Amino acid sequence: MEAGHAHALSSTLGRVTISSDVVARIVGETARECYGIVAMAGRKWLPDRPTRGIEIGRDGDGVTIDLHVVVEYGLNLAEVASTVRNRVGYEVGRLTGLTVKAVEVHIDDVRRTG
Amino acid sequence: MKRALNGDLEAVRKSVDAALASLEANRARIDDLNVYPVPDGDTGTNLTMTVRAVDEAVDATSAADRRSLARDVARGALMGARGNSGVIFSQIVRGAADVLGETGAAAIDADAVARALRGATDAAYRAVRRPVEGTMLSVIRELAEEAESQAPSQPVLGDLLVQLVRRGEEAVARTPEQLQILRDAGVVDAGGAGLLELVRGVASYVTGEPVPEAAPIEEHLSFDAIHQELSRYTYCTVFLVEGKGLDREQLESELEPLGDSLLVVGDESAIKVHVHTDDPGAALSIGTRAGTIDRIEIANMHEQTLEREERLLAAVPDAPPAVSGVVAVVAGEGNRLLFESLAESVGPLAIVEGGQTMNPSTADLLRAVQSLDAAEAVILPNNSNIVLAAEHAAAHADRAVEVVHADSIPAGLAAMVAFDGSRSAADNAREMREAVSAVSTGEVTIASRDVQLNGIAIRKGEWLGLAGGEPVAGGDDFGDVTYAVVDELLQGDKELLTLLVGEDEEPLEALLGRIADAHPSVTVDVQEGGQPHYALLLSAE
Repeated sequence: MEAGHAHALSSTLGRVTISSDVVARIVGETARECYGIVAMAGRKWLPDRPTRGIEIGRDGDGVTIDLHVVVEYGLNLAEVASTVRNRVGYEVGRLTGLTVKAVEVHIDDVRRTG
Repeated sequence: MKRALNGDLEAVRKSVDAALASLEANRARIDDLNVYPVPDGDTGTNLTMTVRAVDEAVDATSAADRRSLARDVARGALMGARGNSGVIFSQIVRGAADVLGETGAAAIDADAVARALRGATDAAYRAVRRPVEGTMLSVIRELAEEAESQAPSQPVLGDLLVQLVRRGEEAVARTPEQLQILRDAGVVDAGGAGLLELVRGVASYVTGEPVPEAAPIEEHLSFDAIHQELSRYTYCTVFLVEGKGLDREQLESELEPLGDSLLVVGDESAIKVHVHTDDPGAALSIGTRAGTIDRIEIANMHEQTLEREERLLAAVPDAPPAVSGVVAVVAGEGNRLLFESLAESVGPLAIVEGGQTMNPSTADLLRAVQSLDAAEAVILPNNSNIVLAAEHAAAHADRAVEVVHADSIPAGLAAMVAFDGSRSAADNAREMREAVSAVSTGEVTIASRDVQLNGIAIRKGEWLGLAGGEPVAGGDDFGDVTYAVVDELLQGDKELLTLLVGEDEEPLEALLGRIADAHPSVTVDVQEGGQPHYALLLSAE
């Protein structure tokens, strides 16, 4: 889904729309704070974009999130992925009110820093 | 008796045992602290599982030298890491083990501890791009700094460890200053608190005596810490699928619809599944279709949550005694709840049932005033017919009482927002009167008798709309009458329209659409008031 596509929350008073870019920025900010994540993996995004490595999709009335990350070498990858998935799902739900249908964490690479 | 902590296996085993025991004793408390990164109340449990894995690794190791022992310990932490705190802890262990593994045969002294803690800190910070302060990370860093500042004076190992416990206590106590979410929830960081307990355990082993907390830290847990959101699914389900040629992606897509927090990891011969679901049976069935299942763990997360809420509620301290309280005359269950929610953690509130056709007596109001656990009181009559009884009650009460002339429930709610139990009744009354004068209120009801309005006759049984106590519209169409009231109330610069729906609910969709079209900048808040007689109570501010 291209950036700018809007997600809607409906209520009796009308709709609130939240663009995919907003969701992607929240995902990016959250993921960069997650323990074990040393970089977002670049796919088709320019290097410095805050939404790099993040794809937002729609599934019925909810959103799906794919994020591509680079994890520090020597960490338990399953646990790091689990934390990222929980935290991203929690923060997006908390900040946007959207239903998060799926958070797919793709560990594209591991890196040994320091 | 003092024991030296050297690199030999026995000392490591006993240190890990002591650390684990110290952590396990605090596991439930640490679970309760957990609000970051996700408030799921499992930090103590995760950290305990991780340390238990280290414990098993040192029990099972056949390492002959310090270097291979260090490697086995680091590997045990990596493999056993559970949750975010477990992953960070595994890096701390690895960083420390890398340093201690290279110390040859020399005894572990203060200098080695300082270098190990520095190695642990570096390893822990290395693995995160944007370190969050106020977590385990800041606690391990402060421990390293403390050890480095003590090392030049070559303290005895036991003394150094006790000093590290003290510094750790300070660092943990400071975490709410560093991380907003902790401050909001009124807790210290769970991971940091867990790390401190591990250090305390090791210190107890080395000194041969318990290292109690410096001073009992009173835990002021707020309601926010209790009501943090949790998974909407009931069961945390974990199992292992074994077989040949297992298709991980296939398994994942089959499990996906069952719940959230899905994790399917492994290879063709063994896959570990973790899912939060309401139907663990379905998850297990999917597993058995793919292969044989083993190591099944199903935990009722809601039960854990309830237990946690109960523990936390028991720990919430009593509020300081209030200077003033409120007596509010309220009709309707929904309106009562609104008043109660506004008073919650602000000051004492006594509700007296009553309204338009059921006026409470002076004695009822007086009883309510004297029931308040506060030195002074404010009465909100919420109906002009009750003001006089309220004035009488104020004159006869055993304490200072102010009457704020709110003549409708919406006006009373506006006044309630301005109430603060730590202020005197006179101060509150001033603020509350100001709040009342800032709102316009209206009512929609059924005319109880024939009335004349601008030359138009409204017959008994028709809808009657009032704004500011004056009739402004009438007729047999609820939507038209109500809209006329809304239009009147929104004159001037109004931003918020509150609608309290009566016990006989009238459909509102068409009305809300009309308001949204004509007044797009006004926020509309619809609440279940449940009051009798008035189909709708309105206020605009």
